[in-house]
Amino acid sequence: MTARLTLHAVTYHYPASPAPALTNVSLEVPSGAVTALIGNVGAGASTLLLVAGDLAPRVMGGELTGSVERAGRAALLLPTPWTQVSGMAFTVHDEVAFGPANLGWPRERISASVERALTRVDVAHLRDRDPATLSGGELQRVIFAGILAMEPEVLLLDEPTAELDPLAARRVWELIRSLAAGGMAVIVATNDIDALPDVADRVVWLESGTIRAQGPAAQVLVDRGLAADDAPGSTAVAAVWRAAGLGEPPPLTVSQAVERLR
Amino acid sequence: MSAVLDLRAVTFAYGGRTALDDVSLALRPGERVALVGHNGAGKSTLMRLITGLLKPSAGSVLVGDWDTRERRPEELATRVGSVFQHADQQLFARTVREDVAFGPRAIGVAAGEVAARVARALGALGLDAVSEEHPYDLPPPWRKLAAFAGALALEPTLLVLDEPTAGLDRLARRRVAAALTERAAQGTALLVITHDLDFAAATLDRGLVLDHGRLVRDAALAELLALGEGLETLGLAAPPLSRLSTALALPGHPIRAQEVASALASVAARNRVS
Amino acid sequence: MRALHPFTLLAVAVALPALAWILPAPTGGAVTLAVAALLLLVPGASPGLRVARTALLTAAPFWFFLYLLHGISGMVPTGLRLSTMIASFVWLVAILPPSRLVEAMVAAGWPVSAAFLFSATLQAVPALRERAQRLVEAQRCRGLATRGGPLVRLAALRALALPLVLSALHEVDERALALETRGLVAGARRTPLAPPQDHVSERLLRWSLVAGCLALAVWRIA
Repeated sequence: MTARLTLHAVTYHYPASPAPALTNVSLEVPSGAVTALIGNVGAGASTLLLVAGDLAPRVMGGELTGSVERAGRAALLLPTPWTQVSGMAFTVHDEVAFGPANLGWPRERISASVERALTRVDVAHLRDRDPATLSGGELQRVIFAGILAMEPEVLLLDEPTAELDPLAARRVWELIRSLAAGGMAVIVATNDIDALPDVADRVVWLESGTIRAQGPAAQVLVDRGLAADDAPGSTAVAAVWRAAGLGEPPPLTVSQAVERLR
Repeated sequence: MSAVLDLRAVTFAYGGRTALDDVSLALRPGERVALVGHNGAGKSTLMRLITGLLKPSAGSVLVGDWDTRERRPEELATRVGSVFQHADQQLFARTVREDVAFGPRAIGVAAGEVAARVARALGALGLDAVSEEHPYDLPPPWRKLAAFAGALALEPTLLVLDEPTAGLDRLARRRVAAALTERAAQGTALLVITHDLDFAAATLDRGLVLDHGRLVRDAALAELLALGEGLETLGLAAPPLSRLSTALALPGHPIRAQEVASALASVAARNRVS
Repeated sequence: MRALHPFTLLAVAVALPALAWILPAPTGGAVTLAVAALLLLVPGASPGLRVARTALLTAAPFWFFLYLLHGISGMVPTGLRLSTMIASFVWLVAILPPSRLVEAMVAAGWPVSAAFLFSATLQAVPALRERAQRLVEAQRCRGLATRGGPLVRLAALRALALPLVLSALHEVDERALALETRGLVAGARRTPLAPPQDHVSERLLRWSLVAGCLALAVWRIA
C-alpha cells in the first residue's frame, strides 16, 4: 500500500480569517484502503478534504503552509448532489460524461470511461433518465459515477450519506469498500460512526483543526475520549456496552458484541 | 383530551395520481410520533396537507378544532410549527435571533413575549453563542438548527418536521432530540418524518408507516423496529441497538440506550455466572 | 426554431433589444416588441402562452414605475424598449437549453469558463422560480401573510426577496466550487460531446443582424 496522498505539517487559514482552520496536520492516505475522517462540525474535516483536493487555497483563497503531495488526480464528492449536478445534461449518461468532457479527453475515451462508471455504480439502468427526475439517493450515485468517470487515483468524499436514506447509504458504503479493495485511495469524512467498523481501515479524529488521534479503525474507535459529550462518539453498540459497565475495550458491532457474550 | 391533529379518511389526488388514500390518524397532546415510508409514499404530501399548503380531495384534516380547508397556512402557523427539508435555505434576517423572531412576530405575538420565546428557542438548541451571527456565516448544520429554532419559537401545539437530523453531527442531533423531548413533555405533539431510526428510537414512541399512499401500520415504535429485515421494504434499516436486542433476544426487545444497557448488563452477569 | 444554431438564437435575442433602443421611439420599440411577442406566441415554433405570461408579469412592475416617474408620455417609449428586452430574454431562456449553448461556444473555441457564465445566467431564471416557490411556502408556514392590501404584499416581498437573493448568491459560491470538482477549471479545453449543426444561411443571418444593428446605430448617431 503506497501513500497516494501525503499532508505534511499543513496549516491553513481561510481568507480574512485570523484563526486557522487546520493546524499542523500531517497525514498519509494509502491506496487500497479507506481512511475515515471524524470530528464535529468545525473540526476541519471538510477543510482537510478541500486542501487534499487542491481546492484550497487554489480556488478558496487563504494561506497554506506545509506541503501536500498527491500521486495522481483527486476527485471530490460533496454531500449535496443538487449543488454538484452540472445542470447542463438532459440524460444521466451526459451527466456522467460532464467531468471527462471538461478534462478534454477524446470522445472514445470518454465513452469507455462513462460506461465503466455507470456499471461500477450500478446506475446503468438510469442512463437515459433526466437527472432532474431522480431521487436524492439516485442523484448522489449518478454524481458519484461522474466523479469516478474522471478516473481519479484519490477519492475524497465529504459526508456522502448525509442526505440519503439507510438503504441508499448502505449501497454507497459498499461501493466505497469495493473501490478501495480495487486499489483506490479513499478518504471519507462522515458522522455515521456506526458504518465505520465495516468500512474504514484507518480513522483520523479531528478536533478544532488538529489531529487528536489517528490509527487503525478498531483502535481509534474504542478511544474513551470519543465518548465525551462534545466528541463525535463511538458506535451505538460500544456506547451501550460501556453504559452497561462491561469491560474495555468495548465491541464495536452487533456481531462483535454477540461474540463477546458467548 | 381532544386531538391536536385529526385526519379523517383523507385522500389527496392530483393529475390522475393518488398520493394519499383514505388515511385516518389522530395525535394527542404530547404524543411523539415517527412517520416513515419509502420515497414517494406520501409523507411530504401529508405534511403539506397538515400545514394547509394543500387541501384534501376527500376527507378532512383538523388541527385542533380548525378544518384546514377553511384556513390559510399563515393562520395554521399559530398552531403548527413546521420545518421542511432544506430549511437552511429559508433564513434571511441579519442575525439568527432576528430570523427566529420572524415567526412569532408574523403570527401576532406581543413584542415582549416574542423576545422571551426567541430566548427559549435559542437556549433549547444551544444557539445562544451564535445568536448575533449572520445565518449564512454559519455552516449548514447550524443553519438547520436555526430554522428549527424558528419553528420552536412559534410555540405551537404541533411540531411537524421533515428529516430534522439529516446532515447533523452527534452534538446537534442530541440537541434536537432534547428540544423535542422537552416540548413534548410540555404538551406539544410531535410528528417527525425520518429515516434515522436511531434518533426515532431514542426520542419517539409511536410509528406510522405509509406505503404507496396508504397508512399500513400505526403501532408502538418498538414493535415496528422488531420487524428487522421487514423494514427494508420500507427503505429503512433497523438501527444497531434494535439489531442487538434481536441478536441477544433481550427480553421486551428494548430499543432505547438505557434500557438496552440494563438488559445487556443482566445478560452479561448471567453468562458469567452460568 | 429550436433546431437553429444557438448563436443564431442568441443573435436574435440580442438584436431585438438593440434595435429597440437604436430605432426611433416609440415606433422602433413597438415594432421590435411586436416581433418579440410573435416569437413568443407563434404556436408550434415557440415556447407558448405560459412563457408569454411570464414576460408580461415581469414587465408590468417596470411600466408601473415608469408611469410614476415620467407620466404616460414618458412611460410608453421606455416601457416598449424594456418590454422588448424582457420578452427577448424570456424567449431565449425558454427556447435555448444551456447545454446547447455551452456546446456551441466550446465548439467555436470559447474558453469553458465564459461558456458557463453564459449558461449559468440562462439557468438562473427557472432555478430561482422553483426556489422562490419553496420559499413562499416555508415563510407562509411561519405566519407570513401573502394576501391582503399593498402594505401586506410589500412586507411579504421583503421576506421573500431577501432569502431568495441571499441563498441564491450563497449557492453560486457553492456551485462554483462544486463545478470545479467536476473538472471545470479555468483554462480547460472541453471536448464537445454534441456540437450543434451550423448552416451557411444561419451564419449569414447572424452577421447581417449584427451589421444591420451597427449600421443603424451609426446612422442614428450621425
